[in-house]
Amino acid sequence: MSEGEKKAAGKGTLTESKKTKTIKVPIGIFGVNIAEVEREVPLDEPPPLPVNAELNVLGKPTKRLDGHLKVTGAARYTADIQLSGMLYGRILRSPHPHAKIKSIDLSQACKQPGVRAAHIITRVVGTAKERDEKTRAIDAKILFDSSTGVPIVKYVGQPVAAIAATTDRAAAEALEYIKVEYEPLPFVVDMYDAMKPDAPKVFQGPTEQEGTAGGGGAPPGLPQKGNVRGPEVAGLLGGDRGDVKAGFAEADLVVENEYHTQIQMHSALEPHGLIADWRDDALTIYASTQGTSSLRDDIAHLFNLPKNKVRVITEFMGGGFGAKFGAGNYGIAAILLSKQAKAPVKLMHDRKEEQTCAGFRPASVQNLKIGAKNDGTLTAITLSSHGTAGTALGAGVGWAAQNLYKCANFSSQHFDVLTNQSPGCAFRAPGQPQGCFAIEQAIDELCDRLGLDPLELRDKIDADEMRKQQRNLGAKAFDWSKRKRAGSDKGAIRRGVGMAQGEWPRFVDMNSSCELRLTNDGGVEVLSSVQDIGTGIRTVLAQVVAEELGLLPTDIVVRIGDTVFPTGPASGGSVTTGSITPAVRKAAHHLKLKIFDLASSKLSAEPEDLIMKDGKISEKNGGNSLTLKKLAKELPTDQLSVFASRTADYGGFEKGNFLGFGRLSSVQFAEVLVDTESGRIHIERIVAAHSCGRPLNPLALESQINGGVLQGISWALYENRHVDKASGIVVNPNVEQYKLVGAKEVPKIEIVLMEEYLGRSATDATGIGEPAIVPTAAAIANAVANAIGVRILSLPMTPDKVLAALKKGGSR
Amino acid sequence: MAGKDDEYERKQSRDISRRRFLKGAGLTALSMANLSEAQAAKEASAAIRGPGATAVTLRVNNAVHNLQVEPCETLAETLRTQLGMTGTKVSCDRGTCSACTVWLDGATMCACMTLTVDVQDRAVTTIEGLAQDGKLHPVQEAFIEKDATMCGFCTPGMVMSCAALLARNSSPTLDDVREATCGNFCRCGTYPKVFAATLAAAGKGVK
Amino acid sequence: MKRFEWVDAKSAQEAVKLTDSSAADLMGGKNTSAGSVIKAGGIDLLDLLKERVLPATRLVNVRTIASLHKVSVDGESGDVTIGPLMTLSELAQHKTIQERYTALSDAAAHIATPNIRNAATIGGNLLQRPRCWYFRSSEFNCLKKGGNTCPAIHGENKYHAVFDNEICPIAHPSTTAVALVALGASLELTSKQGVREVVLEEFFVGPDKDVLRENVLSSGELISAIRLPNKSCKSAHIKMGEKDSFDWSTGDCAVAIQVKDITISSASIILGAAAPTPWRAKQAEDFLVGKTMSESTAHEAAKLALAKAKPLSQNEYKVAMLEVAIKRALLKTSGLNR
Repeated sequence: MSEGEKKAAGKGTLTESKKTKTIKVPIGIFGVNIAEVEREVPLDEPPPLPVNAELNVLGKPTKRLDGHLKVTGAARYTADIQLSGMLYGRILRSPHPHAKIKSIDLSQACKQPGVRAAHIITRVVGTAKERDEKTRAIDAKILFDSSTGVPIVKYVGQPVAAIAATTDRAAAEALEYIKVEYEPLPFVVDMYDAMKPDAPKVFQGPTEQEGTAGGGGAPPGLPQKGNVRGPEVAGLLGGDRGDVKAGFAEADLVVENEYHTQIQMHSALEPHGLIADWRDDALTIYASTQGTSSLRDDIAHLFNLPKNKVRVITEFMGGGFGAKFGAGNYGIAAILLSKQAKAPVKLMHDRKEEQTCAGFRPASVQNLKIGAKNDGTLTAITLSSHGTAGTALGAGVGWAAQNLYKCANFSSQHFDVLTNQSPGCAFRAPGQPQGCFAIEQAIDELCDRLGLDPLELRDKIDADEMRKQQRNLGAKAFDWSKRKRAGSDKGAIRRGVGMAQGEWPRFVDMNSSCELRLTNDGGVEVLSSVQDIGTGIRTVLAQVVAEELGLLPTDIVVRIGDTVFPTGPASGGSVTTGSITPAVRKAAHHLKLKIFDLASSKLSAEPEDLIMKDGKISEKNGGNSLTLKKLAKELPTDQLSVFASRTADYGGFEKGNFLGFGRLSSVQFAEVLVDTESGRIHIERIVAAHSCGRPLNPLALESQINGGVLQGISWALYENRHVDKASGIVVNPNVEQYKLVGAKEVPKIEIVLMEEYLGRSATDATGIGEPAIVPTAAAIANAVANAIGVRILSLPMTPDKVLAALKKGGSR
Repeated sequence: MAGKDDEYERKQSRDISRRRFLKGAGLTALSMANLSEAQAAKEASAAIRGPGATAVTLRVNNAVHNLQVEPCETLAETLRTQLGMTGTKVSCDRGTCSACTVWLDGATMCACMTLTVDVQDRAVTTIEGLAQDGKLHPVQEAFIEKDATMCGFCTPGMVMSCAALLARNSSPTLDDVREATCGNFCRCGTYPKVFAATLAAAGKGVK
Repeated sequence: MKRFEWVDAKSAQEAVKLTDSSAADLMGGKNTSAGSVIKAGGIDLLDLLKERVLPATRLVNVRTIASLHKVSVDGESGDVTIGPLMTLSELAQHKTIQERYTALSDAAAHIATPNIRNAATIGGNLLQRPRCWYFRSSEFNCLKKGGNTCPAIHGENKYHAVFDNEICPIAHPSTTAVALVALGASLELTSKQGVREVVLEEFFVGPDKDVLRENVLSSGELISAIRLPNKSCKSAHIKMGEKDSFDWSTGDCAVAIQVKDITISSASIILGAAAPTPWRAKQAEDFLVGKTMSESTAHEAAKLALAKAKPLSQNEYKVAMLEVAIKRALLKTSGLNR
């Protein structure tokens, strides 16, 4: 490190060990309680970044760099890529929910025109696995029947064989010539049926499943009886506390209900899929994935390849929402077909596969009981939940009941129920929307019964300062004062308002690095394997570099979504922005220092007296200047390059090196109309107050919040997968009868975006993807209860449920 | 590779020779007074094509393409695989999501529910043909300006629906935009900004 | 889709000569040697072909036959003839239809999506196969496809029929049919044998007549015209769904009312998505004659119309949906709607 670099790096003082320095960074909510805090940070950290008002690019609405590619159809998605000699893969899937495969004959299929490769599926991923050696050995006899070597079928849609042919049509036709002899086994697809002691067993013994980069999975080693695994009593943020029995004894009032939430299909526009190009020297993958690096690692592991022989490319991807991590069964099939055919193979799910066996948010049933004093103080909370992710684990309901409110006594237990349905997986804020649907309705009911205002009570029982501010600002934007007592609106169409709140942890992925290049023509490039799944990280990275180097975002070329670049984070858990932007700023800062070193002799000035602004390097006091373009010509080599990876959070982590201090808080308000004759709910308006650390691109943040709210509405009111219990078959594997929010259901959405400083990194930004969906369904449910005076405890709140609730409540 | 393909080829060549024969017979027939008009019409026009590839002439974005397509090939397939126009997306493949929206003679339709053999009489406009002389359509400009794209997979279809709306109604209301896009499915939730962009493109702001 | 042959027919006569079957023939497993079907807008046809439930081997394209693609008004009688190739968009925007047959333009305007309405024809809409998810799935060999059982009766039946649902509880899928029956339409059918007229209400048949088909169209027969009588009435169509963007009807109703002074002299009330066929609410119609329209009259008529409904395990809500549709359609014809 040069002297100049040291000077420029540290406005703060060097500590004695000379390995860290102390800097002062902004902390608090802008416009409310902004202050400064000292942080000890590594010496090579960039100087503190002031609040957004003092910046030129960050915090300013910035158009997407790739907008023109998207609006002209030029953006190339995995589904669009055609390689020379590329084959098309298709998968034959089981029509049975539980069966032994007695034989598979591919011979006729292989003779069909255009067929180039075919194989039997011998490994199925995405589901839970037997835990114990013993039971695994017993199960192996069934799992890997000696005569066929084929896994037992545990769900409709489980892959059985795969084919690659010269056209997609030829591959689809050839599937019909595969002969499979199944021996159907007893099965169970309904969660309640699966809980019965005599229910057919989905697995032979206790099961395990690790999570993905996006979540899912379950803690290891829990007991399992039949298809019921658990209880899980502690999660990421701790377990039980206090004495709930004593707490309920203290209570003046108890609210106790059973809340139901249905599964939610991700239904991304671009289905799952990838192109595998297996060559002798390396394997290249083009994938619609949320994690290029994590996919590379998964494939290297599955195929026992060195990581440096696997390259994953994701230039554009058409939506994931938690379902697109790892190779998946389609990916494994494509890779094997490519290896076999010695040609690239594209294998994309069709919509039916996508809506049958591509993952889903698990369903839940929660028994939630809260005790309170007459003034609303909570005395005890108990939660017992059952959830099902089909043949997968990880149907927990998050930590909303545990952590949203002050309550000394808390106890919870969660059980995963296995059924013969396709495996669920992570979906935007795994567990949290389900958990919020229960606790936020319970708190609302408590307010109704005690005659308290929901905002006032929360001010009292919620310790989170950010949410307090959000309630305050949100209520003003929403005009909360117009709220009437529940059920006071009369007539056929009744109006109601409600609110709910939520939170999401601040996760960090330390696998966040980048390279920054300056070429001798003055061009700047950022390179990282991080992928843009639609959130706009491509643009945000350009903003970060532009801010540091005094350029415009459009001056920066961002090359991402390719594992040949330095490793970037997988986009899950709302980690992307908060993880990768500090690394990029650090790289930009160090590039700047190199530029200053070079410029100092040209400008006859000390490096520390230089600044970069408007594409020029100039003296702080406004003396000499030089354009970056001109200076670049003087580079000693054609290119100057800096590599940087993320520094640990300033002040350390709350847990491990992944859970940061601070939460992503949210409060949402809903105004609804309920047609009591038809049972239809119409949402007129949503006010969404959110925090995400330092907002970097408000334009894209708004879009993501809109997206979370709309997915929340869609889940709350419309989405419902129907499975025929007699056959285990999904009868609406489409986006027509699996109903999704459309243009006519979109309410007016107003966003209150908080500017929050946590003093945790060089950009101090965090994500927004997940928090945006967390409180929506609960806010709507509370508004509906306010409108009709009856509570709907089961999602989706379709007309049949509304009518039934009205009938039960005597309001119709 | 034997089998089906060969069979289809044989069938096709048989069809072609039959067509040739009928054509000739038809011409003769016209001079024969005892043949009914209906019979003559049938013989002159009832050209059975396929199931193998058959010649079609397509007009896409004002360019003429002479292609070979099987009758079962959809316009979406032809555009994407034969013409390399991958801006037209296939997502539901059942006409539900409108990601594959193109214009046929100016009207929006789903390319996934249109057979290529069935568009020879119609002018096809795709997302690639919307910008004129390198200048983006006002709807495209507004989509960028208002951030009406997220993952972008629904965007081409959404743009085609909104641009078609403005072509028939230069000053739409918010409800008109909702109606025009009510078949376009967007899972990221770009709708509010799609509305704002379309109204902005029409020279209006959203209240 | 499996491969098929293609023929462009130049006239209705030519089309029927080239066609030997209907989707119902082929899907019911009857007439297995045949395989050519008429294609107009192609929306429902492609759907069935893509799901691999319709084993058609040849499509006879009638879409470009200009003589079947127009609306004409008889100079003498004032009756209106609608060509079966009129698209749903064209009908929704057609001035004469909007003014004289509002129920039809209302119905056409709320079907599926704008893209579908631009392609789908009224003829195809009348002939589309039911939306029952068991019927549409290649995995189920249901009664309607020549199988032995109906999986819907004890299975997933949230969107199925509430009337006439003992054998095969499909919900009639065409909303234009509901409007057209209410308006007293009839069809002109052309086949190799010639031309015949059928009253639309008699065209549709329930599962008790023939579970494999929804109408009396013969193999290779074509709808060549739809006729609407010149009758002075006020009509409306209201469609209920679980949402307003693309959704199938969960209960729709077309009414056509004639009023003398302020008294209702005749009423036609037809329900959609209620039964396997467009369902006439006879008791409600009789009740209305001689009454003056009001909110309570409409309400009472709606209750009467659904009095004999027999919902399945999951579709009781449809009774309320249908009642609302009836009530709102009646009030709309009298300008009393909110």
